[in-house]
Amino acid sequence: MRFAESGYYIEQYVKCDNCGVLIYRDEKLSTDPAQTGLVFCTEWCIDWHQQKLAGKDVPTVAGEFDH
Amino acid sequence: MTTRQGMDLVTMNIIENTMITVCREMGITLMKTSYSTIFNEALDFTCGIASPTGEMLAVAEFCPAQIGGMPLLIRSCLEEIPLSDIDPGDIIVHNDPYRGGLHTPEHTLFCPVYIGDELVAFTVAIGHVAEVGGMVPGGFPSEATEIFHEGIRVPPVKIKKRGEDVPEVWKMWLANVRTPRYNYGDMRAMIAGVEQGSQRLAEVIKKYGLDTFKRTCRDLMDYAEARMRAEIADIPDGRYDFVDYMDNDGVSDSEIRIEAHCYVGGDRIVVDFTGSSPQVAGPINATLGVAWSATYNAILHLTDPSIPKNSGCFRPIKVLAPRGSVVNVDFPAPEVGGNTEAHPRIAGAVIGALAQADPARGMAAEGGTHLNFVFGGQDEKNDEYFACYDIEVVGWGARPFADGNNATDSINGNCRVIPTEVFETRYPWLTEQYSLREDSGGSGQFRGGLGTSKTWRCLDTEITCTQLTDRHDHQAWGLEGGGPGAAGQTLYQASDGAAWQTMVDAFNKRSTSKWSNVVIKPGERIQLLTPGGGGWGNPADREPEQVAADLADELISETAATRDYGFRGEDK
Repeated sequence: MRFAESGYYIEQYVKCDNCGVLIYRDEKLSTDPAQTGLVFCTEWCIDWHQQKLAGKDVPTVAGEFDH
Repeated sequence: MTTRQGMDLVTMNIIENTMITVCREMGITLMKTSYSTIFNEALDFTCGIASPTGEMLAVAEFCPAQIGGMPLLIRSCLEEIPLSDIDPGDIIVHNDPYRGGLHTPEHTLFCPVYIGDELVAFTVAIGHVAEVGGMVPGGFPSEATEIFHEGIRVPPVKIKKRGEDVPEVWKMWLANVRTPRYNYGDMRAMIAGVEQGSQRLAEVIKKYGLDTFKRTCRDLMDYAEARMRAEIADIPDGRYDFVDYMDNDGVSDSEIRIEAHCYVGGDRIVVDFTGSSPQVAGPINATLGVAWSATYNAILHLTDPSIPKNSGCFRPIKVLAPRGSVVNVDFPAPEVGGNTEAHPRIAGAVIGALAQADPARGMAAEGGTHLNFVFGGQDEKNDEYFACYDIEVVGWGARPFADGNNATDSINGNCRVIPTEVFETRYPWLTEQYSLREDSGGSGQFRGGLGTSKTWRCLDTEITCTQLTDRHDHQAWGLEGGGPGAAGQTLYQASDGAAWQTMVDAFNKRSTSKWSNVVIKPGERIQLLTPGGGGWGNPADREPEQVAADLADELISETAATRDYGFRGEDK
């Protein structure tokens, strides 16, 4: 989420490109290794997204979700 | 008794039930002190307790939509108001759908609980405020095309600081609604609930000791997580898919697709809504909070009801809701119907998918709408504007062991119908007829529950009416050969007693189920026919005695008994 410098309003709503959750802080923002410009909230979401991109019909449900 | 992992199960059980009792007492206070029927009759609110890190610790049995949405709401709020900025006596209010909220009318209040100088918990109340400004009286502008049509958005702000009102917030809020006296009273009721809960919880913590309380809360969430993992582990691994539809969005004719893919792996489950429709122009988009809530709601319906309802039981569940879709709308699209109409459809799609994995857990679709009939007008006797959010009930889906329940609020509401006597006393309507709706339950070995039929006549005041409902076209589906429930209908009759008409025919509206700001005059009538639930199993397998009983109780007609069940007169 990008807030105005004043903090009084939101300039941009930032969401994870895999699960859709709002991303409030930069340190939570994981960068896509494929450099597609997508943003993700966790390593888990990057992994899931890559499995789907690779055409895996049933991605492996592995790792903790770290909501 | 202490378990292998060191959990003190007895203390855990006592503290959990005490916290739930605190939540119930908060709800009773809210109900008894509120002004609006949506609170004191329909009970459209939830009360809970959360940790300082935003995890839900306990909740009372009120509105499931709000229960599942609570974790995201709390987390979003704490992102904007850090713990270091919160003081004893503060109350935070928040309703912004684009900051973790569910929909504009849903207002969330947080009250910190302190032991000494330490903030140890929050008490939380989430309530559906009946009037929030915007295009229509009653908060459901079914022809809205942007969030700004839906009423005032309140980001997380303090409405009380150190026990004192913040007048600027009150004035700003109450200047933007049609019924300020009622809104003021309802907000006071919510504040009373969370403040009372805060006092009660502090007493509980002092009784057992802060260290014991903290350890028990951790144990309680771990326990809930373990119970949920055990339930999911019983579901065969694999991918299960299901699709359901909403009729339209009120401003166009296109149907809206809700697609759920459930990936079960060991003791975890990922629910992916990829493939659902892109967000639409009208107000039936769901926020992310709704997608989370609906998914949790569905899975709680399919698992052991004794699992403690806290954030621990949600840990093995991951929701993937594509941004910009009808299950995770992007700013500034309208969304008020997402929490009432999209939620049941999302939950139903998850149930439909997982019913394939384990049919014994499944349930046919329920009516899946709250009818959302809202209205307002000027009460000449009291020289005051009135507004009401009326919830109506639907038929529920049949299960592999029983018929669906009749006349029950949709899956995310758990709300009550306003009693006719209260309704007629407070609003200028006369209820001329109210009954179960014959033949509305889907046929099956187990029959779907029945919807209702209700007719109102406008008495002495012009009433501005709006409705945002669904399932006028897409009926509640059956399972395992069961038939669909009847579709809903909303009809209008002029004061001269002419033929009943849909809102499309009578007022040139786009949708029969989603229409705004129709003025109903004295003598004119509205009829609400609510959808029935889907049936389960082949109707030919229904016991003749059950068919005969349904016939005798006028739940089905002779025509349906013959057509759907092959019932013969001599079977009586």
